[in-house]
Amino acid sequence: MNADRLAWRFLRRDWRAGELRILLGALVIAVATTSAIGFFTDRLQRAMVRQSAELLGADLVLKTPRPAQQAWLDEARARGLRVAQGLEFPSVVLHGEALQLCDVRAVEPGYPLRGRLRIAPAPDAPAQETRELPARGEAWVEARLLPLLQASLGDTLTLGRLSLRMTRVLAFEPGSGGNLAALAPGVLVRAEDLAQAGVIAPGSRVTYDTQFAGDPEPLARYKRWLAAHAGTGAQLVDVHEGRPAIGSALDRTERYLGLASVSAALLAGVAIAMGARRYSERHFDVSAMLRCLGVTQRNLVRFYLRQLLLLGLLGSGTGVLLGFAAHWGLLFLLSGLLPAQLPPPGLQPAAFGFFTGLVLLTGFALPPVLRLQRVPPLRVLRRELDPLPLGAWLVYGAALATLALLLWRTTGSLALTASVLGGSVAALAGFGTLAWSLLRAIRWPMKGAGVAWRYGLHALWRRPALAVGQILAFGLVFMAMALTALLRGDLLSTWRSQLPARAPNHFVINVLPDQVGPFSVFLREQHIDSAALYPMVRARLTAINGTPAGARNGHTHDESLRRELNLTWSRTLQADNGLTAGRWWQPGDEGQPLVSLEAGVADRLGVGLNDRLTFDFGGGQTLEVRVASLRTVQWDSFKPNFFMIFPPGTIDRFPATYVTSFYLPPGEQALMAQMVRRFPAVTVIDLEPLMAQVRQILSQVTLAVEYVLAGVLLAGFAVLAASLQASQDERLFEGALLRTLGASRYQLRAGHLSEFVLLGGLSGLFAAAGAQGVSALLYDRVFHLPVHVQWPLWLLLPPLGALVVGAAGYWGTRRVVEQSPLAVLRGL
Amino acid sequence: MTSIDEGQPIIVAQDVGKQVPMPGGALTILEGVSFEVKAGERVAILGVSGSGKSTLIGLLAGLDQPSHGRIRLAGEELSALDEDGRARLRGRTVGFVFQTFQLLPGLTALENAMLPLELAGRSDAESAARDLLARVGLAARAHHYPRQLSGGEQQRVALARAFATSPAVLFADEPTGNLDAHTGEKIADLLFDLNREAGTTLVLVTHDERMAARCGRRLHLDAGRLVRDER
Repeated sequence: MNADRLAWRFLRRDWRAGELRILLGALVIAVATTSAIGFFTDRLQRAMVRQSAELLGADLVLKTPRPAQQAWLDEARARGLRVAQGLEFPSVVLHGEALQLCDVRAVEPGYPLRGRLRIAPAPDAPAQETRELPARGEAWVEARLLPLLQASLGDTLTLGRLSLRMTRVLAFEPGSGGNLAALAPGVLVRAEDLAQAGVIAPGSRVTYDTQFAGDPEPLARYKRWLAAHAGTGAQLVDVHEGRPAIGSALDRTERYLGLASVSAALLAGVAIAMGARRYSERHFDVSAMLRCLGVTQRNLVRFYLRQLLLLGLLGSGTGVLLGFAAHWGLLFLLSGLLPAQLPPPGLQPAAFGFFTGLVLLTGFALPPVLRLQRVPPLRVLRRELDPLPLGAWLVYGAALATLALLLWRTTGSLALTASVLGGSVAALAGFGTLAWSLLRAIRWPMKGAGVAWRYGLHALWRRPALAVGQILAFGLVFMAMALTALLRGDLLSTWRSQLPARAPNHFVINVLPDQVGPFSVFLREQHIDSAALYPMVRARLTAINGTPAGARNGHTHDESLRRELNLTWSRTLQADNGLTAGRWWQPGDEGQPLVSLEAGVADRLGVGLNDRLTFDFGGGQTLEVRVASLRTVQWDSFKPNFFMIFPPGTIDRFPATYVTSFYLPPGEQALMAQMVRRFPAVTVIDLEPLMAQVRQILSQVTLAVEYVLAGVLLAGFAVLAASLQASQDERLFEGALLRTLGASRYQLRAGHLSEFVLLGGLSGLFAAAGAQGVSALLYDRVFHLPVHVQWPLWLLLPPLGALVVGAAGYWGTRRVVEQSPLAVLRGL
Repeated sequence: MTSIDEGQPIIVAQDVGKQVPMPGGALTILEGVSFEVKAGERVAILGVSGSGKSTLIGLLAGLDQPSHGRIRLAGEELSALDEDGRARLRGRTVGFVFQTFQLLPGLTALENAMLPLELAGRSDAESAARDLLARVGLAARAHHYPRQLSGGEQQRVALARAFATSPAVLFADEPTGNLDAHTGEKIADLLFDLNREAGTTLVLVTHDERMAARCGRRLHLDAGRLVRDER
């Protein structure tokens, strides 16, 4: 007999008999949930990456001091990536008598690869997206350039030997947003015109921008290839690195979504384990019979493995299809809120969903099914002979290994995997003991309760192992949900506080030292809230502990070694900075050769306390200083921040300009014109377009997070259903017997209700404790947020658990009193 | 306790029939069964497998509803009662012994025996159950679970449970069917002893001719019909 056909036939028979519904149902829910979340978040994540890419103008940008080599471009195209080239350089442009230092960007058709330019026909007209580029002989300019040149649109500006007509106002230029090095007003021209301009000579400060866009996988491979080939003069920027604010937001989102999808898988795994246990118990007789008929243990195992594999293929396939459909439903419901153009669904979530199903089945269903090989053949004569239970290490070991695999595969982070797993195992062990003792303890106060209630409670403590298991299972469900909600709430509030309502939206640079006083007075007079004015001195880091900086092994790729650094001095530590090592300036430090380093850059440079750094301030002036402290900096506060801070009096003698940032309410543009007229040397940078984009990304992140939470909730209900189903037979039998012995429906129903209310309440209590513990670990280790007592968890979870489990259990056990007791008893 | 005097009919079946729907049409299990059982009588129901014996006592005890016909138990018209009403009637009137013992696996012997007393809200449930366990010879095994007991011992617990509420009627469905001859004999002795002590009406389904012979009356079922009423 063909074993596959036999397995298939048994599977079909089991299906018809309703034996597989729980197991297959849980598997389908698991895979459908994971892949629906997978499809949805995959597309949303790719959309978010794409929007970030729109800020960057590409998925990946290579910045080089010389034109990119043809071989690099050919390699990119060979890998199916799109390529666009451009260059940036500072240059003085003229209009009549007026001249102004500008940041000129020359582009070729194809730019930008991601996002759109936004232009306006006049300085005060609303901006609109365009796919076009300036025509040859034309220039598009930022609005702030026009008053500086005392020009208007239609006038001609001179760039080297080239005359260009200013035809459009440039409102947003992908690739320039937030680039604080490009502080001069932007001018966009065609690269083809540049040759005639003659402004680029050897030694000019030109940055060649080569942009790449394409699918994530080839792009990531190409990035690694390029990093190996482009050499040290090159800088590679992608959406994760380009902008600190967006980078950290995306990073947290991806970690969060990963965590949430594993929570869903974990819950589904619990449901599958329950279903598999029931499946196994219902196959004791069949297994005993098969063994009586001469099937060996080995062949019995093979037989069930085949069934399990068939079940896995069937369940995972159905789940992926359902998940795919469900994600379209989500998209349809949300169509008004999502980005207009989502990337098409990828194959990867489907593959991952399928893989998740098989892995879950192996980890959670295999152990109970393996138990079937131990069924003694004698069972055909003595039905009470159950197979020996499996070792706990096998059951929980398999589940843990599965979880670890999924966690690691989803998050790619060993720290996250370890902390979630560690938290779960510790919680299970601790809570198991606690649940046991609590169950024993409640027997006494309940002695005086009514008979039905007493029976409900007895049902729990008379089967303590089952009760503890259920409390832990439900506790796990609520814990995962609470953690999800908690992280969502806290992540969002962290993001929100990251972007306060009056976050600075303008940066001011190039305030000359003699204008610091008048400028401060001007800001105060206009009631503008601003950060302090910080001096800024430019220098290069040339040596560390006397060794030329570039020569140090292992740390040669840091950007801070290649470009000019902005140094400052300050007597006080900024509010959003935190000292992590050493000490801040004290009286007597003024003028001393000391420096305070941002912790991240210190780490990248391989520099610690008391190491010596040498700075070159140009013109042969150098200074060696000792690292006196390390600081953390909140880069996404939109306030001026510095890698290196000196004590007052140390670098004052070098030429400095001052910077600050301030919040200007929308519609106060007249004030800007006034500022530019009074302080013509000052450069003001409007952060509003960048921040609008950041806000949009955040609101989409919020949405993604809400939907993932819904998926986790669904998986939680799957566990609830599976556990009710798993105990259904026993309850039916018990209910029938109790009714035979004269128990009324009311007594039975009240008993069920009290059992589930108590179960839910205890689960809620445990969930609160578990979520508190795991969240403390996560907040501290992974998200770097402060740990605090989550009171709402403790107050809300126990009654919520009692309500949800009580209601669901009450509903789920209604069949117990609907069937004729005779039918139940005879059916056994 | 129910106030039916000895000699008065405690069970009345009139034209009782039972059909169950099947894919190929309704299957008739019982048809036109009528008889009376007087209080204190011992009645054995005999018949081959599938003759409808177990279905009949299920109907007599109000565990299921007949498709047609009427059944009176302890003066109550069963069809006039809802499921809860029948449950209350069973609780105060009826005891059961099953072929497969039907003990709750999660409860100890003592807890199983206490079950009907606790359901009835008796405050002396534990002491009464202990007395009965001692009566069936299981005092020493009160805290053992069913899986730790032999078949005979499990049936003793079931007997203790059945007599715990001093029921007016005891229904026994092949109580020795799952036991060896020797153990079955002992259980049968215990059953009849308890029955005599309590003065309970006994309705017994059995294959065992010797057991049937100990009953004052034997009803023979064949293919769902009552074919002989032998006294």
